[in-house]
Amino acid sequence: MSHLVDAKSMLDTRGLYEGPTVHGVNPLLLIEKIIRERIFESLYWKEHCFGLNAATLLDRAVQLTYIGGQFANQRPTPFLCLAFKLLQLQPPKEIVLFYLSQTEFKYLRALGAFYARLTFHHVEVYKTLEPYLSDYRKLKVRGQAGWRIECMDEFIDDLLTKDRVCDIALPRIPSRAQLEDLEELEPREDVLGSEGEDTETEGEGDD
Amino acid sequence: MTDKSNVYGSAGDTTHRKTWDRAEFAAKAEERTAREKAEAKARYEAKAAGKKYHRQQTPPSQKSGTRERKLNLEENLNKTTIVPAGAGIGKRGKGAGFYCDVCDLTYKDSLQWVDHLNSKQHLFAVGESGEVEVATLEDVKERFTMLVDRRDREMKEGDWDLKRRLEERKKLDEEERRIKREKRKEKKRKEREEKEKAEKMVGVVTEGDGKGDGEEEDEEMKMMRMMGFGGGFGSTKKKN
Ligand SMILES: [Zn+2]
Repeated sequence: MSHLVDAKSMLDTRGLYEGPTVHGVNPLLLIEKIIRERIFESLYWKEHCFGLNAATLLDRAVQLTYIGGQFANQRPTPFLCLAFKLLQLQPPKEIVLFYLSQTEFKYLRALGAFYARLTFHHVEVYKTLEPYLSDYRKLKVRGQAGWRIECMDEFIDDLLTKDRVCDIALPRIPSRAQLEDLEELEPREDVLGSEGEDTETEGEGDD
Repeated sequence: MTDKSNVYGSAGDTTHRKTWDRAEFAAKAEERTAREKAEAKARYEAKAAGKKYHRQQTPPSQKSGTRERKLNLEENLNKTTIVPAGAGIGKRGKGAGFYCDVCDLTYKDSLQWVDHLNSKQHLFAVGESGEVEVATLEDVKERFTMLVDRRDREMKEGDWDLKRRLEERKKLDEEERRIKREKRKEKKRKEREEKEKAEKMVGVVTEGDGKGDGEEEDEEMKMMRMMGFGGGFGSTKKKN
C-alpha cells in the first residue's frame, strides 16, 4: 500500500471523495479551507512535509520546538502542518497511540494528542487522553500574540474541554459529565480530584 | 501510563477503512493519467525547444521518500531582488538561481523551486513514482529507536543542544525578517488606502491616479508573493 506524496489530490475530488472518512467526512476537511490553503502555501509544508509516511514523519516531529496554530501573519506552525499531514496519512490507531505513549519527545506526544482529539471517537478521546493529564512537562506555544508556556496537562485539558485549540475548531464531543450520565464513561478515578478544579486560575487563553 | 487495553475494539469508527481499496485504485489511475500528461508535456516542451524528446527508459517505479538532504533554500533567499517576467515557470537552461540539472530548468525563488521538486514532472524525470510506502507500527518503532539513539549520541557529544539552538535561532531570525517585511508592506498598503479614501471623501477624486496606484501595488504584491517574500523591495535592495 502507498500514500501519495502530496495531499492535494485528496481534496481535488469534485465532491466525489471515496477515501476513508473520519467523523463521516474526508479528514482533510476537519481543517477549515482558509487554514488548509495557508498550509499548502507554507514553505514548511512544501519543504518538510512532502513524501512523509507515519515513520519518516518522526524525523520532523522530534525536531518540533513549539506547538500552536497560526502565528504572525497567519502562518501555520510546523506543528499544525504535521497534524494536517497526519490527517492525510491516517495512521492506524496503534501508531497514534505509540506517538502518545512514548516519553522521549514531548512535542511528538502533543502532536499525537491533537491528532487523536481530531479523529478518535468521543469515548476514545477521553480514555486515550486523560492519562496524560498527569504529564506536567512544559510546552512552548506560539500564537498570533507571541510566545507563552503551557504544560502538557493544560494542553490535554484544553483538548478535552475547549472548542478551539491551536486555531482549529475541534469536532464536537459530549462533555465528560454527559458521557458519565449516559454511562458511556466510568467516573474518573480521583487522581487529581478537586485539585484540578481549583487550580484553574488563569482562565484567559483567548487572545 | 498508556492504557492500550481499552482502546482497541471499542466504539471507535472502525468502518472508515472499508473503501480504501477503491480509493487506492482511483489514486493509481489518477497517477497514471498525470504521468502520461507529464510525458506529453515533456515531449511538447522538447519539441518547442527544438530538441528531440527521449522517453525515459524505465518507468518510474522507485518509491518517493523523504529528501535525505535538506534543501539549501536559505542560502539564496535574500539574494534575489528582481524577478524577470515569466520567471515563475522556470527557465530552460542553467542560470542564476536554483537549477535542476535533471530537468534543465532554473528557478528564481525558493517556493517555486520546492514546487518544482515536488511536481509530478520532476518526480517522473528522476524516476520516482510519486507514491510513498505506508509505514507499519514496526517501521515507526524502528525509526523512533534510530532517532532516540541519534539524539543520545549527539547529546553525549554535546552538540545536540547547541546545534538545535543554532538552527532554531537561524530559523526564527529569518522568520522575523520576513514578518517585518510583510508588516511594513501591509502598513504602507493601509496608509495608501486611507489616503485614497480620504481623497474620495473630500471629493478630490483623482480616479485615474488612485486606481492605477492600486493596480501597481497589487502587481508588486503578487510578484513578492511569487518570490516568496512578503516584504517591500526596499528592504531587499538594502542588503546588496
Ligand atoms: Zn527537476
